[in-house]
Amino acid sequence: MRFAGKTALVTGGSRGIGRACVKRLAAEGARVAFVYQSNQAAAEALVQELQSAPAEVRPLQADVCDLARAHQIADLLFEEWKAIDVLVNSAGIVHDGLLGAMTAEQWQTVIAVNLGGTYNYCHAVTQPMMMQRRGSIVNLSSTAADFPSRGQANYAASKGGINGLTRALAKELAPRNVRVNAVAPGMIETDMSQAVRSLAGAQIKQIIPLKRIGQPEEVAAAVAFVASDEASYLTGQILHVDGGVSLGGY
Amino acid sequence: MPTKDEVFEKIQSSLVDALGVEEEEVQPEATLVGDLGAESIDFLDIAFRLEKAFNIKIPQGELFPEDILTDPQYVQDGKVTEAGLAELRKRMPFANLDNFTKNPVVQDLVNLMSVADLCRFVEGKLGVTE
Repeated sequence: MRFAGKTALVTGGSRGIGRACVKRLAAEGARVAFVYQSNQAAAEALVQELQSAPAEVRPLQADVCDLARAHQIADLLFEEWKAIDVLVNSAGIVHDGLLGAMTAEQWQTVIAVNLGGTYNYCHAVTQPMMMQRRGSIVNLSSTAADFPSRGQANYAASKGGINGLTRALAKELAPRNVRVNAVAPGMIETDMSQAVRSLAGAQIKQIIPLKRIGQPEEVAAAVAFVASDEASYLTGQILHVDGGVSLGGY
Repeated sequence: MPTKDEVFEKIQSSLVDALGVEEEEVQPEATLVGDLGAESIDFLDIAFRLEKAFNIKIPQGELFPEDILTDPQYVQDGKVTEAGLAELRKRMPFANLDNFTKNPVVQDLVNLMSVADLCRFVEGKLGVTE
């Protein structure tokens, strides 16, 4: 129970990797609030599934692009819980397309949700975490930040931005005992990667050294480690959880 | 409405928490950087603590108008110009800029801010007069 007595806020918590993170942190004893945008049924189903978790699991509806709402949520949790120990920024979208055909809206939406949403929630927890003199922020990046595929200019840019944000914020907050890291998943079996996996077919496994698609729970395990006190000397790092894809070569 | 003494006590407590200094070190004439060892991140922390302690909002640039210090209109050869000094006096009525104006090197402004300046800043925001 690495998170007994701890509190955590997870964005994008009703689906995919975010959902796995909520489950993992709750199973390890954390009080967890998770942000979901619109899928209330999925959020309620997750709360139902975690009814027997050791501590409270609370869904909060929000658009991560809304900075004021992010602050409202952070203030609410800090007021009630007296601390926000962990923030996991997992909300993310894809809207792939070749750049030459990519609309401004395609570009801006992905940047706004993935990078802007990460900024919003980092900004919102900076004050409480600085004041409480502890905290761990884990941003969900992607292997695509360094090894993008065609059609992912917007997504790769957003994740590359998250890596930069992570390193810079890690330096800023280190004197206040707040750690900031990123976990960069490769190909993971989620709804979001469904289209890419369908297009690539069986071939995709051939470029993954471990020869299989990862599971959200495997990413959540890495997130939980990075967020936990076991990683107390780790900050400003990008941890790849990608079956070896980022090793490159043949 | 708090008195000036109460404002000082809360600021003293906020600085003890933010900077890890002893209460006795936080005297009105003490400078935040030189005497109390504040670094840039500390100014953010101090602003957060003042917001909580006094239930006020401190917009970016209000306590320390860094935009002036990076504006070529107000800075030449690393020094704040007359126009810049006039702008600083307008934006920082709580700060004693007398020493700074003698040799207004940009980097020195942050070093001059004292506990008394902070007290006047908060008193101004709250409308404290006694």
